Amino acid sequence: MHKNAFLAASLLTVMVTACGSAEQPEVVEQIIVREPGEPAAAADPAEADGAVDLVALGEDAFQMCTGCHVNEAGAPSTAGPNLHGVIGRTAGGLEGYPYSDALIASDIVWDEASLDGYLADPAGYLPGTDMLAGAVPDPDARAAIIAYLAGTGE
Amino acid sequence: MNDMTPEKKERSKLAKWSRRGFIGAGVLAGGGLLIGIGVRPGNPIGALAPKVAAGEGEQLINSWVKIDMDNIVTAIVPHCEMGQGAHSVLAQMLADELDAAWDKVRVMQAPADGSYVVTDTARMFVAPFTMNAADWIEPTWNGLFTQVARLADAMITGGSSSIRTTGQHSMRVAGAAARKMLIGAAADAWGVPAAEIATRDSTLFHEASGKSATYAEFASAAAEQPMDQTPTLKTSDQYRLMGRSKPRTDIPCKVDGTAKFGMDAVPEGLDLSYAAVVRPPVPGTTVTSMDASRAKAMSGVLQILNMGDFVAVVADSYWQAQQAINTVKIDWSPSDSPIKTMEDQFAVFAKALDEAGETGGKEAAAKGNAQDALGKAAKRIDAEYRAPYLAHSPMEPINCTAHVTESKCDIWASTQVPLMARSAVADTLGLDKDAVSVHQDYLGGGFGRRLGSDEMAMAARIAKTTGYPVKVVWSREEDTQKAYYRCADLCRMRAGLDADGKLIAYDSVFTQRHDPAEASVPAMYGIENTSIRVAEAPLHLPFQAWRSVDHSQQGFFVESFIDEAAHTAGQDPLEYRLAMLADASRHKAVLEKVAQISNWGETLPEGKAKGVAIVESFGTIVAEVIEVDMTSGKPRLSNIWAVCDAGYVMNPDGFRNQIEGGIVFGLTAAMYGELELKDGAVVQSNFHDYKMLRMNEVPGIAVELINSGDVPIGGAGEPGLPPAAPALANAIFAATGKRIRELPIAKQFA
Amino acid sequence: MASFILNGKPISVDADPAMPILWVVREKLGLSGTKFGCGIAQCGACTVHLDGQPVRSCSTPVSQAEGRQVTTIEGIAGPEGELTKVQEAWISEQVPQCGYCQSGQIMSATALLRDNPNPTDADIDAAMSGNICRCGTYTRIRRAIKVAAGQVEPSTQEA
Repeated sequence: MHKNAFLAASLLTVMVTACGSAEQPEVVEQIIVREPGEPAAAADPAEADGAVDLVALGEDAFQMCTGCHVNEAGAPSTAGPNLHGVIGRTAGGLEGYPYSDALIASDIVWDEASLDGYLADPAGYLPGTDMLAGAVPDPDARAAIIAYLAGTGE
Repeated sequence: MNDMTPEKKERSKLAKWSRRGFIGAGVLAGGGLLIGIGVRPGNPIGALAPKVAAGEGEQLINSWVKIDMDNIVTAIVPHCEMGQGAHSVLAQMLADELDAAWDKVRVMQAPADGSYVVTDTARMFVAPFTMNAADWIEPTWNGLFTQVARLADAMITGGSSSIRTTGQHSMRVAGAAARKMLIGAAADAWGVPAAEIATRDSTLFHEASGKSATYAEFASAAAEQPMDQTPTLKTSDQYRLMGRSKPRTDIPCKVDGTAKFGMDAVPEGLDLSYAAVVRPPVPGTTVTSMDASRAKAMSGVLQILNMGDFVAVVADSYWQAQQAINTVKIDWSPSDSPIKTMEDQFAVFAKALDEAGETGGKEAAAKGNAQDALGKAAKRIDAEYRAPYLAHSPMEPINCTAHVTESKCDIWASTQVPLMARSAVADTLGLDKDAVSVHQDYLGGGFGRRLGSDEMAMAARIAKTTGYPVKVVWSREEDTQKAYYRCADLCRMRAGLDADGKLIAYDSVFTQRHDPAEASVPAMYGIENTSIRVAEAPLHLPFQAWRSVDHSQQGFFVESFIDEAAHTAGQDPLEYRLAMLADASRHKAVLEKVAQISNWGETLPEGKAKGVAIVESFGTIVAEVIEVDMTSGKPRLSNIWAVCDAGYVMNPDGFRNQIEGGIVFGLTAAMYGELELKDGAVVQSNFHDYKMLRMNEVPGIAVELINSGDVPIGGAGEPGLPPAAPALANAIFAATGKRIRELPIAKQFA
Repeated sequence: MASFILNGKPISVDADPAMPILWVVREKLGLSGTKFGCGIAQCGACTVHLDGQPVRSCSTPVSQAEGRQVTTIEGIAGPEGELTKVQEAWISEQVPQCGYCQSGQIMSATALLRDNPNPTDADIDAAMSGNICRCGTYTRIRRAIKVAAGQVEPSTQEA
């Protein structure tokens, strides 16, 4: 599980007026989260109640996908297709994205189960896919990512 | 050792040995021979050295050679090793003139430290075992180094020049002079004529008496010998190492994972943190606000910095920093540039060319009266060519590690200009140059990309702001989109042919002229009436020299257009060129040879054809023939042949490797290279959309070399590139009748 | 804690399970032979072996390595540092220029020859086209693979 969502970050924000040489301003804003060597801040007390925001966890987990994917309405695809609204999308269905033949030929309509299978092992689940990397082996991380995509797909 | 007679002192006094440089020698305290080689301003590095030592009497010591008491020869040179093989070949040249044993020669990159080239402190690098600053160089020198005032940031690697400048003028001269001095010392000691002493493998021999000694044994005494300021260099028939394909000394560590690049620097004793950065998407804009609320909560994050001209996230690891910075929402100031797309950029170019018209703009070259001759020509060809912005994309991403304290700064980086990097950091931090040390190892590709110092200044600022040592890594996206570029350009060309199809008038006008000046001038063809004009226009994306610089776009413009002339005249493009090279014997020989090895005239099946191009750049003439297969409707490279004349090649296999590499670099650009703009920002970001040629697309490349002899030798790193795009475009025309006037090619056949 | 076998030795390292193997190996375990080139599995500079199979370590989270064999460029030579046939061929054919991509190239080539000791040109294309070389040493890489496979004689070196 990702620690990020459990952090209650203690932070210090330093505002420094931009001055100094015209070419290279001094730091405009310096946010100090922690010092090197310091452990990460204690878990968020809200989590101790057991309430888990799966969508927020998923948003954190999705960071490892952002190398190739965006999840943003109307945004252009990057290396991989824009995943906004992918739940309910036919595989290979985003207009304008150069999918592999395998995705185009596939009948899959992405839902939680099929995404779970695909993300566990893309090339095993859908041979011929261009998604050579980015498998998510951790079932909890997959559930969180899928929840995030489902929860933000409108 | 203070017993120099006035005569000896006189003879060892410095004198200019040529317009290019000088050498001087002395003995190292503790024993050993030391030679310093200085290169004067005006060496061929030219436009790449904006600040060269100025002032009369000021010289540049840029290389040292020492022979230690352990019989090892070390050359300390101002060039980086970025894959071009400079270090190894410089060692080859030194060892040959010196008759040193090949395995007893080392090349060390000069450290970019303020004290390197200043006499009294250079000992720290050249002779670290000496104790007393005043005595480290015995006063047998008569002021060689007291004349050295300063080195003005002129340690540069670029322009395909390391071998033909430092190699030819510093390494060889030092080697030959030292050898003569060693022989003189042995002759004195043995009481025999110098002419009877032979040298080989770091040893002196006197056959008649059977005496022999290692170089080390006479190194100190050699320093007192008269120094020949213009020593006789070997002729090519005497070479033992030069001209041979000696295996490169840096290759073994590049196959076992031990070679270190700037990216790999882990300075001892420092606990590094890592930073990812985001620079302005549109050049010249700045951060107006940033929302780092998500990033603050992400694992590993230490600090988030709005530096005004970029944003940085500092974390326990680069990956964590990059993941976090991906979530930071940044607003940028509006750009006042009207250029939002490449069509806007080309419109700016077109406007400049429209204003220049048929005879305006700045004259770059002129011969006869082109305008007049064009008006009278039997046939006219008018064409407009264009070339896109290109990124350098070295495989090692841009990076810099910095450690800043109150009084000094150390940086670890991969740079082609370590002293400029040092100055940039010193300026940024308000420190003296002497307080900044630049450490570097191998470069994971330069190609001109590493002629800048932005990443060093950024790393210094981040390290200073956070207070701890930091390694800054630019993502591939940052280096593709927020970097410095090969310029785009628009070129209008007009040719006039007479009734026999001979090219009698040639005019071109374009907007970008950076370096070298002759790139746009097809001088070798001796066209009677030529005019080359520049109508300058501003660039939206900042410029930086890109492998072969102006030759990269001008090679395509010129050699495609010459091909158009040939086809318009109804003649074979190779024969057409040969006819124009009647007075250029070296070029003619190169073209004839490439015709022969490529079997130029053979009939090929439908859909396959060959194209040719010849470009002289950086002192080397290269002709290429490319065979293309168009049978699928898309261009597929089938075969490539290249012939090069660099005068004399110091390491044939190394030279061929550079030409092969230049060809692949040029064909990558020809097939795929293009950066588009949207809202003024670069669209392409990584290798999925800024495509590279890969293994499955590169056919066999045959490279043959002609050593035409006694000419200043030419370079290896860049000359393979300029003929590649035109040779391919010319092949496509021959196969399909479609003339390519803009790059890249692949998308025109999608 | 991530636990796996690195170049034959079991190790445990404190790392975010989502952290790619590339960064764990480079920054936490001090092995710099595996390189970062693009971060999106497009260039191959980060190629390592996972249970002998080539993977792009920049896009493979360390959690996927749990309990498995990870081999980097530092781990393919023999116990006394004896170079492999592939590495020797890389030297005899003078393949590297800048050298930055070559760890990845060698890892991909090593896996190819392990699975297919007598590859055709098409096999070489398929196995190696995921590795970019910006210096353009492709023709030498191809020849070195054939030398390592015993299909062609090594080029003779100048003594």
